[in-house]
Amino acid sequence: MAVGQIKEGTSVLVKVDHRLVSTEAMMKVVYWLSRDFVCDVVTKSDTESVVMLAAREPADWVPAEIEDLFKTRCLDFALREQVSAKTSEVRDLLLAKAFAESGVLEDQPSGTFGDSIEEAKPDGMFRILNNRI
Amino acid sequence: MPRTFFPIEHFACKPQRVSLLPFRFTRIRDKELLVNEAGEFLFAPTGTVSALLENSLDTSSTLYKDLKAKQFVYDETSSALLDVLATKIRSKSDHLMGGTKLHIFVVTLRCEHTCQYCQVSRQTASKGEFDMSRETADRGIALMLESPMPALTMEIQGGEPLLAFDMIRYMVATAKKGAAEKGKTLDIVVTTNLALVTDEMLNFFREEGVKVSTSLDGPAALHNKNRPRPGNDSHQRAIDGIERSRRIVGYENVSALMTTTSASLQQVEDIIDEYVRREFHSIFLRPISPYGFAIKTRKKTGYEMETFLEFYRRGLQHILNINRSGYPLTETYTTILLRKIFTPNSTGYVDLQSPAGACWNVLVYNYNGDVYASDESRMLAEMGDWTFRLGNVHRHSRRDLFMSPAAINLFEASCNQALAGCSDCAYQPYCGADPIYHHATQGDIYGHRPTSGFCRRNMGVLDHLFGLIDEADPTTMRIFWSWITGNPLRLEDSECA
Repeated sequence: MAVGQIKEGTSVLVKVDHRLVSTEAMMKVVYWLSRDFVCDVVTKSDTESVVMLAAREPADWVPAEIEDLFKTRCLDFALREQVSAKTSEVRDLLLAKAFAESGVLEDQPSGTFGDSIEEAKPDGMFRILNNRI
Repeated sequence: MPRTFFPIEHFACKPQRVSLLPFRFTRIRDKELLVNEAGEFLFAPTGTVSALLENSLDTSSTLYKDLKAKQFVYDETSSALLDVLATKIRSKSDHLMGGTKLHIFVVTLRCEHTCQYCQVSRQTASKGEFDMSRETADRGIALMLESPMPALTMEIQGGEPLLAFDMIRYMVATAKKGAAEKGKTLDIVVTTNLALVTDEMLNFFREEGVKVSTSLDGPAALHNKNRPRPGNDSHQRAIDGIERSRRIVGYENVSALMTTTSASLQQVEDIIDEYVRREFHSIFLRPISPYGFAIKTRKKTGYEMETFLEFYRRGLQHILNINRSGYPLTETYTTILLRKIFTPNSTGYVDLQSPAGACWNVLVYNYNGDVYASDESRMLAEMGDWTFRLGNVHRHSRRDLFMSPAAINLFEASCNQALAGCSDCAYQPYCGADPIYHHATQGDIYGHRPTSGFCRRNMGVLDHLFGLIDEADPTTMRIFWSWITGNPLRLEDSECA
């Protein structure tokens, strides 16, 4: 990310490099900041967007704070995206397992899982996951 | 000279392949707060999430062992214990099992109070056409008893329900007979301002095991300002009613709720002191609900959620100080959240559930037989918005109510796991979805989290509570645990904790 020109004291332009922060992560940041800022997103290329953030209450902000806030949030959402990518399949199976035993799911989840012995089984969850990957 | 032995773990191979289990995180002060799918949490130094993703965390560190013990990670030397984690998730979602527990009956819209924030469209005390008929009560009770829940709660409210006391008598008898025939247990609560309560009514409540819930907004001046009635004596009548109710119905069967208006904001300590003066041991610091008349009168009674949060934080500090002085006093909302944070159990509190508790866990039967997904959706209807009317007791079956377009629409927006802003939130396991609140305040059942009062309140309260948990003051934590468990507070142990 890089900060471009600073406009009118309480607005900033931020270039977002999508090799570091995905469009989805950037849009989540913009969503959360929309309470305090008017956010304008322009796609420059597949790998770059420009976000303009204009404070709704200019007296409450200085540009450096806005820049810091945006960057910090972007990095956090990029981390969340990575955690989600690494755990989403386990999460789906966990939820399926949790609710399958309550009888609220029409379709039972595929695979079984539980402990390390289970992991070693040919039809265990970890094998299923590995085959998918 | 004694020889020192390393523990056996010292000689074990270090894990080479660390795998993550699902979690979310946020930042509190200078730490990262990690929360897993079942709501277990861990404070970790800044950089921990990055280190986990880069697989660079020292696997012999205490932090790594904590992460493993709390099911944020597993490795080749340990089991993921996913069955255990799945069981915890299921326990947290216990409110989904069994069906509707809380059934609210509005026996009349009549009321002799003229509260500006009143959440219902009250009618004057003489308008009998706003009373529930026996036929409607019979049908509503039959629907209630069709719920698969073995333990039901019937809440009778108004308006002022004591203006329809004959109907209360009838409903209590009918519901108890029906519940006994179906082998269900039934709790009955009457929500009343107590201004008109008589000893005859209270004796009836005692004989029938009916509990009393009333309103106490604070000291006399504030209570009377919030709750005007002819004679300007609402507070005196409430206090008199509380004392007589305790004497006749039993101390433990009488509770009170307060509502925070703009007039309350600077008086949180006085409000809490009034509860202590009246020998209550719990108080619920509740913001005003943005429904019904509260929308019409919001210029007089309303305030920003940020202002309420300051009210809450000051109030909680005062309550903690009161506990430190030896008087046990719980704050209800804090207790609900602490139970969600520290225990694997579901709390049953409808407003903080995902999928949302409206409709699924509570049904409201209006005086005219209309059935609503919650008391709030009935309040909207009194203002001309019938979005969440599920049907009518005279025309619809239980299945019809739950399969109605209103219910299906509501269910669509009921899971915070799938809502924008909530899906990534670390506080998701502790929070809920409130489509009715967002419909009322933002005109959208899905809601816009950054400007949502519901989100601001819960984020603010949880930020504050996790800040206190991180501080880990021994006395504060002992007070919190006494609230969670209901066990007596033993302050003398705090010094050595």
